Amino acid sequence: MTTTASAERTRLTHSLVLLLPAVLFGLLVSVQWRTQSDRNELTVRYNTPLLDAAKTLQNEQNTLKAQLADLRAELDQIQTSASTQSGSAKDLQARIDELKLVAGMHERTGDGVVITLDDARGAAAAKDIEKSICHNTDLTDIVNQAWRGGAEAIAVNDERIVGSSSIYCVGSTIMVNGTLMSPPFSVVVIGPQNDLLATYDDPTQLRDIKQRRDVYGLGFRVSRASGLRVPSYGGALNVKYATPR
Amino acid sequence: MRSNAGVIAVTVVALFLGVLAVTQIQAQDVYSRSLQLETPASLTTLIANLSERNNAIKEEILDLRHRTDTAREAIASGKGSLTEAERQLSPLRVFAGMSAVSGPGIIVRVEGTFDERALSDLVNELRNAGAEAIAVNTARVGPRSWFGATPDHALTVDSAAVSGPWLVRAVGSTEVMYVAMTRTGGIIGQFQLIYKGTRFDVTRESALDLPALATPLR
Repeated sequence: MTTTASAERTRLTHSLVLLLPAVLFGLLVSVQWRTQSDRNELTVRYNTPLLDAAKTLQNEQNTLKAQLADLRAELDQIQTSASTQSGSAKDLQARIDELKLVAGMHERTGDGVVITLDDARGAAAAKDIEKSICHNTDLTDIVNQAWRGGAEAIAVNDERIVGSSSIYCVGSTIMVNGTLMSPPFSVVVIGPQNDLLATYDDPTQLRDIKQRRDVYGLGFRVSRASGLRVPSYGGALNVKYATPR
Repeated sequence: MRSNAGVIAVTVVALFLGVLAVTQIQAQDVYSRSLQLETPASLTTLIANLSERNNAIKEEILDLRHRTDTAREAIASGKGSLTEAERQLSPLRVFAGMSAVSGPGIIVRVEGTFDERALSDLVNELRNAGAEAIAVNTARVGPRSWFGATPDHALTVDSAAVSGPWLVRAVGSTEVMYVAMTRTGGIIGQFQLIYKGTRFDVTRESALDLPALATPLR
């Protein structure tokens, strides 16, 4: 009687041991299946031509930006050589150069900090995908914090942040100055290193990002760096509606 | 013998589980952030945005070509390049926030609870919709402007306090900005869900006057 009961118990324990993995297994299979079923027929039918179109436009933009940079340099050169002719032209040219510097139309080099932001990797990330990936608002917060810390020039993955720049998010793709990008992000900031580091260390700032780094393993790191380079803005100036007074 | 079979069975299941878990993590890793997984709707929005920007660059290229030729001719004929320099100056002053500006646009009026991150997001959204100049109440938003908050819940633009109700004024294409703000699922719709009890009004304006940056950039 006792032997039978103990054998029964052992069988039950074995079944239970198998039950847990079986449930987990089922869960994973279904998650895997759902991930794949997201790519429904509509996605498959339209995505290829749309993807091609997006890539073609991005390539076209790179070519256009290069042409724009060449033309700007050419006009600059004409202006600079002409401005040596008269005093008033020289003054005007000096003002233009100064404005271009503060507007982000010139490349900048110097010391500062580099912030890296990346999606969480590893087990903790699976807990909550939303909280373990980078969002465009994380980047706007990081950029806002850099200006607060006295930054002179900022670039996100080599795209200069200027007065017209937006960090735009469509689906899971981020666009800065019209350039498509995805993680990891490198935010290069030129400015006073100690002030910048202090502003990022401030526990009352960027609380959400720091918490997600600690809990979900979001990649967020701020480091001091020297000899940084921030490229000039390569997009259109686009002043059509606003007239100076 | 029986218990051995059990151990083997558990091991096999555990192994398989491990492989699957890894596959799952990797699959999400690669898929989640690649352009390939975007829905047709997202891709269409991306394409529209890209082509709009490419057109703006093309326009500026044409304009610059023309101006380069004109400047060359002027110099060759001894007239100098003052006109071209003057033409260059005014958009740059707008772009750098260094001059007061006038123009059409929209006003987003916010009355109630609001915070600096939302204000920063609103400015980001306006810039994406092509805003050429933005001001919050009387503070012009410049290329290096930042948003903060004071302990008594006022917001700050470049450390100057601006208290509610906030008038966020943006000069640019009235229709493009108006639609970007008010579309279904757009930023104002999101704000209305998050900041319940706060009033958001978006109006089209035919003439706005925005101040220059209080402290010129160096």
